[in-house]
Amino acid sequence: MSPGGVRGAAQGPGGLVPGGLYGGGGEPAAVEFHERQELVGRDLRTEEMVFNMGPQHPATHGVLRVVIRTDGEVVRALQPHVGNIHRCCEKIGESVPYYQWLPYVDRMDYLGAMCNEHLACMAIERLAGIEVPERAEYCRVIVAEVQRILSHIFAVGVYGLDLGAFTPFLHQFRERERGLDLLDHLSGGRLLYHYVRIGGVKRDLSPEWLDELRAFLDAVERRLPEYNTLLLHNRIFQDRTAGVGVIDRDTALRWGVTGPSLRAADVDWDCRRDVPYSVYDRFDFEVPHGHSGIAGVVGDCFQRHWVRVREVEESLKIVRQALAGLPEGPVLANLPASLRPPEGEVYVRAENPRGELAAYMVSRGKDTAYRIRCRGPSFSNIAVITEVGEGTLIADLVALIGSLDIVLGEVDR
Amino acid sequence: MSEPKDKTPPAPPRPDVGEPDPVTARALALLERRAPGAVLAHEPGGRHPWLRVGADRLREAARLLRDDPDLALDCCHLISGVDWPETGEMEVLYHLVSYARRPDAAYRRRPLKNDPFVCLRVRVPRDAPEVPTVMDLWTGADWHERETYDLLGIRFTGRKELHRILLPEDWPGHPLRKDWEYPADYHGVPIIPPEGL
Repeated sequence: MSPGGVRGAAQGPGGLVPGGLYGGGGEPAAVEFHERQELVGRDLRTEEMVFNMGPQHPATHGVLRVVIRTDGEVVRALQPHVGNIHRCCEKIGESVPYYQWLPYVDRMDYLGAMCNEHLACMAIERLAGIEVPERAEYCRVIVAEVQRILSHIFAVGVYGLDLGAFTPFLHQFRERERGLDLLDHLSGGRLLYHYVRIGGVKRDLSPEWLDELRAFLDAVERRLPEYNTLLLHNRIFQDRTAGVGVIDRDTALRWGVTGPSLRAADVDWDCRRDVPYSVYDRFDFEVPHGHSGIAGVVGDCFQRHWVRVREVEESLKIVRQALAGLPEGPVLANLPASLRPPEGEVYVRAENPRGELAAYMVSRGKDTAYRIRCRGPSFSNIAVITEVGEGTLIADLVALIGSLDIVLGEVDR
Repeated sequence: MSEPKDKTPPAPPRPDVGEPDPVTARALALLERRAPGAVLAHEPGGRHPWLRVGADRLREAARLLRDDPDLALDCCHLISGVDWPETGEMEVLYHLVSYARRPDAAYRRRPLKNDPFVCLRVRVPRDAPEVPTVMDLWTGADWHERETYDLLGIRFTGRKELHRILLPEDWPGHPLRKDWEYPADYHGVPIIPPEGL
């Protein structure tokens, strides 16, 4: 390679950029600039453009298509289109016996599979009047909170990626992989576990696994300040998210937004504390909500990010308390081979990493449900961008969608 | 029992009906006071208390429940449709919850472990299922109504145009109806129904 190669061509006279990178002398460029300004004022035609963002856009977290009408960089109107990965979860639930439906539930929110299973089992158990052994309830809380930690770590890391920060994503994946290994050792699956069963859990937590879990919790706790240095207390990140995509309390409630996004809008509500299910009423934890005291305004992208960061800390607390109070005993109730709940209906809700998952179930005494209806929290959470996304910049729309942390598997079910 | 045969299905057995659910009781008292005759039937307690109203008075009842400061049902959590071919009816259920009112400790200790909600339900004839929209009361009802239309074919009136949301616009029929048949193919792609159906 000669010294006068490509590099020389760009610099030398007659190369790729004649006269240097900044146009050489100041005077001629200034004149040209003024001429262009006049051109814009006089003749340049402006019009609104309609185009698709997605379904294969990297910042839409799956197959979400948003049709946006733009005026330059500003989004004037938008309409999200969902349904690309509709997998008939409800139809399947009405076609197969209760036991066989459970693996499908994992696939709704594939980043919160343990929490999905937990809710589905609770609904069926209430329908059939099944008592769950106490140790199984603790196992469920432990795996659900580990799942929440993993889901929030993923959400926080990927949010940085959406906004152009690649490094935090890689750091957080280190801990996430470790957590996935943990659940893999317990259930045999990396993402879809089928660990929580009707009447309890599949297998007991072994002492070795509990040691592994404690090491994982310590690792996450040690790393949290590092993550926060990279994103939460990063001035660029704050400038990018503070005051952007504000969803106020009224808008959030009208649209049925739940979970961290609702708490960021200063609604002090967490199903685990306010309508406790399982054994959550035995644990002491805080519900982060409202303003972080760091940057931004209530209900903006920054507060949603902050709520998730804080919830990881609270989940660590819950898992540690559950480990300390883990009782002895069986982990699975004795159940008939064919489960036939008496006629009746239930409505159950639970706090998932992304918001409130709820299920309405009707039994008519058969081994298959007559009707199963699931409320995917992401379904309501993403609908709100129709209103909130209006008038934002295209780049801020990416920040808004990322901060809602949707999983399209759950939107489409 | 020699009750006159009407078209309502047999009431489900009530094995665990304890005391009346306080939230539903308050909603029932409010509707009886402010909209007499709107509540056609109700289930006061048990695992799933509910209030049935006529489709023509749904919006009135929903508005009263939403605006009552005591109940403050500020969120329409879920809208579900159920098909009842035996009686020739379809049903729409509205599960309403409040984020402004936190249930007190006594409520949470109840043995049924119910979550506080108010369930409004509406029955409409199966051959012309039409229910007025509640989208102007809770904006989030928009997508839930679209989904109920998409999967069950219940039409919501008085709102902007109803479009399918999950299925393609040209999908044949509404799959969650109990008499829906799997089509032989969709745009030339054969559809093989799961075994046992």
